[in-house]
Amino acid sequence: MNPLVELNNITYKAQNKTILDIPEFQICAGEFLGIMGPNGAGKSTLLKVLAFLENQSSGAILYRGEVIPKGNVPLELRRKFSIALQQSLLLDGTVFHNIAIGLTLRKMPKTVIKEKVAHWLELFGISHLAKKNALYLSGGEAQRVNLARAMIIEPEILFLDEPFSALDFPTKIKLMEDFKGIIETARTTAVFVSHDLMEINYLTNRLAIIVNGEVKQSGPTPRVLEHPNSSTASFLNEWKKFYPLAR
Amino acid sequence: MELLIDGIKKAFDMILSGDREVFAITWLTLKVCLISILISTLIGLPLGILLGLTRFKGRRILLLFINIGMGLPPVVAGLWITMLLWRSGPLGDLTLLYSPTAIVMAQILVSLPIVTSLTCTAFQQISEKMLLQIKALGATRMQTLIILIKQLKIAILAAIMAGFGRVIAEVGAAMMVGGNILGDTRILTTTIVMEVSKGNFDIALALSFILLSVALLITAALTFLQQRKRIS
Amino acid sequence: MLRKRYFAVLFALMLLVLSACGNTDTKDTAAAKEKKTAPKPAPTEMILATTTSTQDSGLLDVLVPMFEKENNVKVKTIAVGTGQALEMGTKGEADVLLVHAPAAEKEVVDAGNAINYKRVMYNDFILVGPKENPAGVSGDDIKAAFKKLADSKATFVSRGDDSGTHKKELGIWTAENIKPTGDWYVSTGQGMGQTLQVAAEKKGYVLTDRATWLAQEKNLDTLQIVVEGGKDLMNIYHVMQVNPEKHDKVNSKDAEKFVNFMIDSKTQDVIEEFGKKEYGQSLFFKYTE
Repeated sequence: MNPLVELNNITYKAQNKTILDIPEFQICAGEFLGIMGPNGAGKSTLLKVLAFLENQSSGAILYRGEVIPKGNVPLELRRKFSIALQQSLLLDGTVFHNIAIGLTLRKMPKTVIKEKVAHWLELFGISHLAKKNALYLSGGEAQRVNLARAMIIEPEILFLDEPFSALDFPTKIKLMEDFKGIIETARTTAVFVSHDLMEINYLTNRLAIIVNGEVKQSGPTPRVLEHPNSSTASFLNEWKKFYPLAR
Repeated sequence: MELLIDGIKKAFDMILSGDREVFAITWLTLKVCLISILISTLIGLPLGILLGLTRFKGRRILLLFINIGMGLPPVVAGLWITMLLWRSGPLGDLTLLYSPTAIVMAQILVSLPIVTSLTCTAFQQISEKMLLQIKALGATRMQTLIILIKQLKIAILAAIMAGFGRVIAEVGAAMMVGGNILGDTRILTTTIVMEVSKGNFDIALALSFILLSVALLITAALTFLQQRKRIS
Repeated sequence: MLRKRYFAVLFALMLLVLSACGNTDTKDTAAAKEKKTAPKPAPTEMILATTTSTQDSGLLDVLVPMFEKENNVKVKTIAVGTGQALEMGTKGEADVLLVHAPAAEKEVVDAGNAINYKRVMYNDFILVGPKENPAGVSGDDIKAAFKKLADSKATFVSRGDDSGTHKKELGIWTAENIKPTGDWYVSTGQGMGQTLQVAAEKKGYVLTDRATWLAQEKNLDTLQIVVEGGKDLMNIYHVMQVNPEKHDKVNSKDAEKFVNFMIDSKTQDVIEEFGKKEYGQSLFFKYTE
């Protein structure tokens, strides 16, 4: 299977410190890829590099087998991806306006926008919030708007950086359940950064463990979780103490 | 107290009787102040955005000067402009001294730092993450800018209002570079100073009410623009 | 969408104002409107540096429009203290001067900075003081009165702004060999009107020109005239052109016209008539050579 995005000998340095050092890494179509690791391992940076939002220090990034010139990412390529972060970062305006923004920026006709927003509001169960100011929503509601805003453009790859970690447990469970259903129906390729084993285990089908800027292990999620190698065992076993694996 | 009532009466008289001189002075005041603040906004807004969103060499020094400029006394601005525009000065050939243009120049000098600095402060408070999120939504640079300006509408209009307040209240520079010439550079504030020195307190007071009404009207319009349509 | 329209309207309004300002110089004055009906070449501009007393009394509001109409000149009247007016002339920042400090004027003329020096009019200085008159000064001898003021240390309010009136006051102190310093001597650094108001508040004595006094008397009910009429109190106004040979941007053509206008007998009549209606007496008197 041809990878969508491929990293080739990528390093990322900030203030002479190597944050990332990745000889090879791939995102394949249709997978839900988890990236897990301790705090400061470089997960978020890796996500930004993969989404063409941050320039690597060296190495090449390929999209569908083609090298994308560093620092000169075509707008059309950037617009194939979308991202949802831990903070919802909504704009001052209605929920409708917030969800529509990706389409507005792509200059879609108004009637199409209206239709699509209604559809995604419905899918995320927030149709009743359409006319509310997005800044006055609860944490769970705001995150639903955030995810709908990212999904509405029907991205080729959806990048997620801990979108559930700030939510209280019941809210998180409900949203993850809904989200899993939505993304499976839409068959969207997703890359999901988290440090939470439960989230990873529930959502992803492939997992990469990253420690100190290096990918220490990757493979199908159940296999990685059940058979950590010498580099990832210490990190994963801490988690497993509190979260016995059962799918 | 008697004077206050006299002043209010006189102000109404002046407005209702359509006193041509008062009307001309008020109109000129409005024109000069609006043009000054318009130009200050057209320069200060992009400059403030640039200073707020980007990092470049010399940025902090520039910001320091702009912040000092916020406290620039109008008479100092007036003095500089006067010296610049003197017949013997570097711009003497333009014969701009004692013209409305000179007043506009001085008013820009005192209001530009305010508009720039307050705009910069607003844009500097936008988090890196927000910028990343907007970019990730597929915005071009221009689209990002438009989104940010809409988001910071309240702060931007506050900056413009602060600048306008400085401009309309200013008298020292207008007196110095304008010369308070009737029908040419006489604006409300300089007229008030002149009428006080003539001892015509009632006229001065009446003019002060007109000045306040003008300031109120403009500020009210800007406030309305700033505070409208806040969805709950 | 509504918001966009609102912005657009505001922007359009500002543009309108901006375009309207393009020709401020001609649009505003009523006089300019008259000009429009009879097509004339664009008026030339002339800067008149003068003292606050001529402007605050309202005399120039009568004379300047007359001159402008007759000569198709736009006069920019800058009312400042005599000292500053003379300095503007010396630097070539004005074209014609109308001032009232003969000793200082002489220096400027002797240095060749001003030419066509002509006497125009006079009125007089007066000493006003609190109605209680604590120093007990009266009569027409200003020098004796100043000496008495210094001896009794009665509050004296000075312009302190290098104006003609201030120069006059300093001249009197010097003539009497008095150096006025101390708590009793208040220097305002302001125009005649404000200085009179300070004197009224502080119940002090103050030297003023009669024109300003008459115009302001209504607001100054704690003050009265205490010394007037002596020959030392004469307040003489001169008009002069800035020397065009020293500064190439000086408008000497119109300046010369203005000097001639001021000493013209028709203008002189207007000067003497001025104020009679409102104050029952002339504020300035004919005084050409």
